[in-house]
Formats: sequence, structure tokens, C-alpha cells
Amino acid sequence: MVQQAAARARLINPPDKGRNMKLMKSTTILMTAALSVSVAEARDFTIAGWGGNYQDAQRAAYFEPFAKAQGLTFIETTYLGGLAELKTMSETGNVIWDLVITDGATLQLGCDEGLFEELDWDALGVADSLLPDAVTPCGMGNVVIGNGFAYNAQTFPDGPKSWADFFDLARYPGKRGIKNDPMMNLEYALMADGVPPDQVYEVLATPEGVDRAFAQFDRIKAELQYWDAGSQPVEWLAANNVAMSTAYNGRIIMAAKEGKPLTYVWTNQISNIDAWAVPANSPFKEQAMEFLKVAADAQNQATFSSLMPYGPTNVETAGVLPADVVANLPAGENIKDSLFLSDAFWIDHKDELTERWNNWSTQ
Amino acid sequence: MLTSQKAHGGRLAAFLLLVLPLAVYILVYLVPLGGIVSLSVDNRGLSDRFPALRAAFAQGGAGTADGRAAALLQDLAGLDAKARGETARMLNQEISGFRSLLLDTGRDAATIAPTMAALVAFDPRWGDPTYWEVIERNIPALSLRNFQKVTGLKTGPDGGLTIAQGDDIYLRIMLRTLVIALQVTLLTLLIGYPLAYAIANGSRRLGTFILMVVLLSFWTSILVRTTAWVVLLQTNGLLNNLLLWLGVVSEPLQLIFNRFGTLVAMTHVLLPFAVIPMMNVMRTIPAAQNQASRSLGAGGVETFLRVYFPQSLRGVVVGGGTVFILALGFYVTPALVGGPGDQMLSYYIADFVRKTLNWGMASALSVLLLGGVLGLLAIYGSARWVMTRRKEGV
Repeated sequence: MVQQAAARARLINPPDKGRNMKLMKSTTILMTAALSVSVAEARDFTIAGWGGNYQDAQRAAYFEPFAKAQGLTFIETTYLGGLAELKTMSETGNVIWDLVITDGATLQLGCDEGLFEELDWDALGVADSLLPDAVTPCGMGNVVIGNGFAYNAQTFPDGPKSWADFFDLARYPGKRGIKNDPMMNLEYALMADGVPPDQVYEVLATPEGVDRAFAQFDRIKAELQYWDAGSQPVEWLAANNVAMSTAYNGRIIMAAKEGKPLTYVWTNQISNIDAWAVPANSPFKEQAMEFLKVAADAQNQATFSSLMPYGPTNVETAGVLPADVVANLPAGENIKDSLFLSDAFWIDHKDELTERWNNWSTQ
Repeated sequence: MLTSQKAHGGRLAAFLLLVLPLAVYILVYLVPLGGIVSLSVDNRGLSDRFPALRAAFAQGGAGTADGRAAALLQDLAGLDAKARGETARMLNQEISGFRSLLLDTGRDAATIAPTMAALVAFDPRWGDPTYWEVIERNIPALSLRNFQKVTGLKTGPDGGLTIAQGDDIYLRIMLRTLVIALQVTLLTLLIGYPLAYAIANGSRRLGTFILMVVLLSFWTSILVRTTAWVVLLQTNGLLNNLLLWLGVVSEPLQLIFNRFGTLVAMTHVLLPFAVIPMMNVMRTIPAAQNQASRSLGAGGVETFLRVYFPQSLRGVVVGGGTVFILALGFYVTPALVGGPGDQMLSYYIADFVRKTLNWGMASALSVLLLGGVLGLLAIYGSARWVMTRRKEGV
């Protein structure tokens, strides 16, 4: 059939043109074939995480037991935050991740736009063992992160104890490291200004409250040094580049365990939850659900928390852990005066406040 | 007749075959570029979701309040959860809180009576005209709202254009981007020219050594090179400790996380792009010309300035141009060694794409950057044109 058509084509067209057409046709066929091969290529179960020690601990506590139980191989990749990759996967239909760990606001945004699978909590059967905030339509909260500040104990033997001290350059001179992001920083500033944790979001929802938070930062602006990655505050504090810095509790406590003279301040710290979510239309959806059961298990969470000092979401885990591990976690006594990060507030106000923050910080 | 036609056809085919890669290249290059640029004004993501409201607003005036309320509820009821989420995200970029308002209303759209009173009773925010103004602005399929945000220009009450205090943030950042790129270009040329000269004219051993050193840094990952500068320049870094030990300074200097650190690290990263083109051009300048100049009585300086330097300018232009264009797009290096006052436009473009999924703003900022480059190229091109005409005129 094809040969006949080609012969007819040769009769009608001058030979050169026919050859060119044939060349073009075969090139097109080759290219299409090459493309379809790369699309159809099977891949391993893929987990996207935040990297570093955090992901190392997750590998030992969850990935490896899960892969062993399911008899599958997995690969890991780094997630940089945000929804850009997930949006691309959803729009191109080429879903290359099966699990991703993300923060509460991103989870909620992605869930509303259908970028994550909705979880069948009845089928999972683990909801009762988890903190209520860990159970959401598209994600299973897995890790409680502490966000506070730390200082070098050699610089300040009688160290700062509250957010008011963090903003007090007279008593505690020196540079301050903060993340280049309004989220949490504005809350810290209000608490330094005397707002009790349970009223922070009420105040921050008013224009006067936002002004008040920025006014606090205006006072120390000349001494600020901005970090982007969680490893930076640890390096800066250890090298005495900054006197104090906001930081994640886990990073500071790990550094302290390695012998660096760093102290994390628990007073009025902010807790937030990182959650596992399954990108919509993942080909490994069923296995991903099995993973969630592994990650919800009290014993596995205890393994994670003893490797990486972040808090568990399983309410029974703290009972399984030794007291010296619990003393370093955002749990129990440590979070008695904590503020819980409001994802709802930030989902509504992030665009506007980020714009104002950028405007303020670049001047 | 027939043979000539045949030969003609053959040549045409050969021509087409040769042009084909170019056509593919242009297509592959221009189509995505056009696609990205069009995102800056394309507002169909929002406008397509409000067909009933569009009709209501098209009826002149804004229709009755109840008509608008009914149209809004009708449109919201027609959206599935995913579309509602996307619409809410985009509207929230205009006013904080629109997201939750739209999601809540959308979920209950079917149960709210189609009157303005019922809508305001459901959520009093619907009584606030600001929300309706945002919707009205976003009904057309084309919108300049991203460019309005990029330039900070607003139509004042008297119809004139005004820029509110602080709203010119992206114009300031664009200016800063150009300034940093220019500074880096000048630095790389100043440092690179003697290096290229030494490679092209020095002994073979010296030339190879310098070339290796330049290329070695070229082969190192940009992140490693940038981090190395942090180690060298930080408050308790090698350089500060050396200066303190020598007694040059009494307390550490702030050498990084500011403009100085940004310029140092960017100059280092971009140096090979200046050295290599200059070196290539310098190698083509015959040594005999210098000797001829000397034998005609010119001194070393005059020979360099009148014979060598003008011929090497071609390399300076190519090297400088390459460095400048590359520097304009930098963001990893300034993010790691600069302060917030040193971030360049690409940082914000990446931020909009990655963190807030605001492709419209990312695209509008890219257009600003592209426009800046094209504007500079136009100035450069016309300056050259004037210069060559003057030369030819003489």
C-alpha cells in the first residue's frame, strides 16, 4: 500500500522532490518513535523531599522499611518548594513524582487546584492516631517543625531568652540572620512587640498590625543578614558571622550535637507541620497510600525523631521516645507557649505581604 | 526547458534542506518566546471563567446589582473545584482575602439566592465595591494589570498616570540589574584584558598556565565557586583574618552579603567569557605590525594604543557583550553572596514562577528585561552606525 503510494508519487513528482518527501517522512517517523519511547519508559517509585539530614532520616525511618515491605525500588529527588513542578506535571500529564513532602500552605493551595490526590482517610485507617492538624483532605501531616532563633553560646554566655531580646540591639549587639520572607518574621516581630501568641494573627490581619511588625524590623534593619537555605544560619552562627539568627530547631540541635556551641530558644517559637502528599494521577497511587501507613506508624516516627530532632504527628510517638530525645523536639514542655503557624492566614495574605516585604527589604 | 526546470527544482530542494534547520531553530526559539511573552497580557485564565458576568458587564454600565450577583453565582456554580481553586488564586493576587471569599461563595453558590442582598448576607465582603472592581478589571481577555504592577503606573483620579511611593520596585530592580551587569562587564574587561594579552603574546608556558587557570574556574560548578567566596570573604573568613593579623583593619570588614561580594563573585564566574574572545582576537594580530610600528619610531605605549589596541577592540566588544548579556540573567550568585539590595530581576522572575505560580507577572518582568536589553542594543547599534558614517564621511 505504502509502496504503491510512493510509486505513484514518483510518477507524479520529479524524483528529487519525491526523495525529499520520503526523507522527511522517515525523519518524522523516526522522531515520533524516539519521542514515544521516552514517554513510555517505565520509572521507579519516586519520592521528592527537602534533602539533607532531614531526608536521610526519612530514608532510614520510612523509605527503606516501605520499599522492603512492598518489594519495590525507589528513587529520591529534591523538592525546592512551591507548586511549579506539580503544576507542570498536572498540565503535561507526565507525573514523575509519587510522593512529595510539603508545607501546609502549599498543600492547601495544591489541593484546591487538584494537583494532589484526595486521601481516603477511612481506607488509611490512621486518622485517630494523628494530631487533628495532620489530617487534611490531600495530605498527611508527618513532621512538626520548630521555627525560632538561635545564638552562639560563646558570644552570649547569658543568652537572649525571648523575641524581645532578638530585637534588642542595645543589650545584645551584633548582626541578625533572618529568612528573606515575611512569613513567620512578621509573627516574630509582633511577639517581640508584646503581642501574645494567641492574638498574633488577629493583629496581623489589620493594616496597623502589619505596620507594627515592619516597624520592629526597621529598628534592626541595618544589622540584618538574609538567609535563603536552612543550612546558612547554622554556618553563620558557628563562624560568628551573625550574633543571632532565626533557624529551624532541627538544624541547630544537630549542629549542637556535633559540638558547635549553638543554643536554640524555645520561647514563643512557631510550629508548623510538613505533610506528605501524592501528586494527582500518580501511577503508583496504591503504593503511595501504603507509604502513608508506614509514615504514620508511631514506631517509625520515633525512629525519625531520634535521628532528626523534629516532632512526630502520631500522638503515641512521644511515649515511645526516651526523655532526652523529647527534650529537643517541638513537643511537650517546649511548645507550651508556641504559636501554631496559620496556613489560612498566609494563603490569603502571602502575595500582598511578600510584595510589601520585598519592597521594604530591597530599599 | 525540462532539464532546466529539473535543475531548478533540485536547487530549490537543496536550498529548502539548508534552510530547514534554520526554520526549525527559529520556530523552536521564537514560538516559546512568543508564548511566554503573551502570558503577560493574556487574561483568559480569569476571563473565560466568568462568561455570564462578562455578558452582564457588556450590557452597558454594570447592569443592576442583582444582575451582577446572579451572573457571579451562575459562573461560580459552573466551575469545578479545580477551576475554582485556580480562579481564587489569581484573584487573590489582586486583593488579599479574595481567595477565601471566592472559595466559600463558590462552594455554596447553588444555595444562595441570586440577589445582591443574599450575597452580602452570605458574606458582607461582597458589599465592598473593591471586590467588584477587581472582577470588572479581570473580565476582558487581555489585561495590562501585570504591566501596571511592573511599572507601578496607575491612572490617577484626573486621568493622568502616577506612580505611588514604593510601587516602582521593579523599575528600581531593573535599573539595579543593568548597573550590576555594567559594573561586572567593566571589571571582567579590566581584569581580562591583561590576562588575554599575556596568553596571546607571552611565552608559550606562561600562556598555557594562565589559560589553564582561567579554564579551571570555568570547569568548576558555579555553586562551588560562589561558596568558595563565602568562605574567603565572610566576617571570620580568610581575608578578614589576614587583614586583622596584618593590622590593616581593627575590626572585620563586611565583604560579603552586599554589593562588593556580588561583584567579586560574578566577575569571577564570568571572567572566562571575556578572556577567551579577547584572546582569540589578539592571537590574530600579527606581531610584525608592532615591529613595523616600532621601527617607524613609535614608542611602546604609542604602538600599543595606535596599532594593537584598536585591533583588539573587536574581541573586547564580543567579550564585553557576552559578559553583559550573561550577567543580566544572573540570580543564583547574587542570591548566595548578595543582600536583598543586590538581587537582580531574574531572582524575582524565578520567585513568581516557582513560589507563587504567577506566570503573568513572571512574563511581564521577562518582557521588561528583554525590553531593556533590546533598548541597549538599539542604542549601541545606532551609536555604531553614526560612528561608521562619520568615519566614511571623512
